[in-house]
Amino acid sequence: MTDSEKWAVWSLGVVALTTAAYFTFVALRGEGPKAISVFALLALVAVPKAGHRSWRSLDERERGIAHKALETSWRAGWLMAIALSLVIWRAKGWDMAFTVPMWRLQLTLWWLGVLMLAVRSVATLVLYRRGSNG
Amino acid sequence: MADDTPKIRNHIRRLRFEHGEMSQEELGKRAGVTRHTIMALEAGKYYPSLLLAFRIARAFGAGVEQVFDYADAGEPEQSASSESRKSEARTQAAEAR
Repeated sequence: MTDSEKWAVWSLGVVALTTAAYFTFVALRGEGPKAISVFALLALVAVPKAGHRSWRSLDERERGIAHKALETSWRAGWLMAIALSLVIWRAKGWDMAFTVPMWRLQLTLWWLGVLMLAVRSVATLVLYRRGSNG
Repeated sequence: MADDTPKIRNHIRRLRFEHGEMSQEELGKRAGVTRHTIMALEAGKYYPSLLLAFRIARAFGAGVEQVFDYADAGEPEQSASSESRKSEARTQAAEAR
């Protein structure tokens, strides 16, 4: 297993831990701005050595895979943002105005980040296993 | 369903064997890539850039066509490198005459 694959597995673990911690927190303390503190756990993705390997230290195949995985994660994030806006539009209509607490907006962004991290990790693992031709 | 994608085949495994069982690690070092990339190349999971193809060929002291073949879909196993070897042999035979 390459360093990048190890990092991807580790990141998926961090995603699972963060998700579990968030729902535990919400179950015990209820929803609110304090629940956002759970996302500090995401900093754990920087623990493995591969988490801070420079782009230059990767060979051409590793770089290609890293690039494709990152691109896939941005696509997923973009699709999710569009889907979210469509859901709000369907639920509220074009002319509806509504206010959202800042913490809820932050929460949405954090979840988007978690989703993108998970997609990037899965894409990395898949590309290393199946090959990155084409 | 037949796979219509053109294939780039390589003879890295055989060439490593012919070069005193050169390890993947060693070849990777010489070509400037990791052992995992050499493994992926041998398994046909990755097609190298032209630059890497030249580096690998140089590591074996061979030409790119002796290491890599391009094959269109449905093309028989006859490889470009075997063609070039045949033409090389024909040239040598003509020179000997």
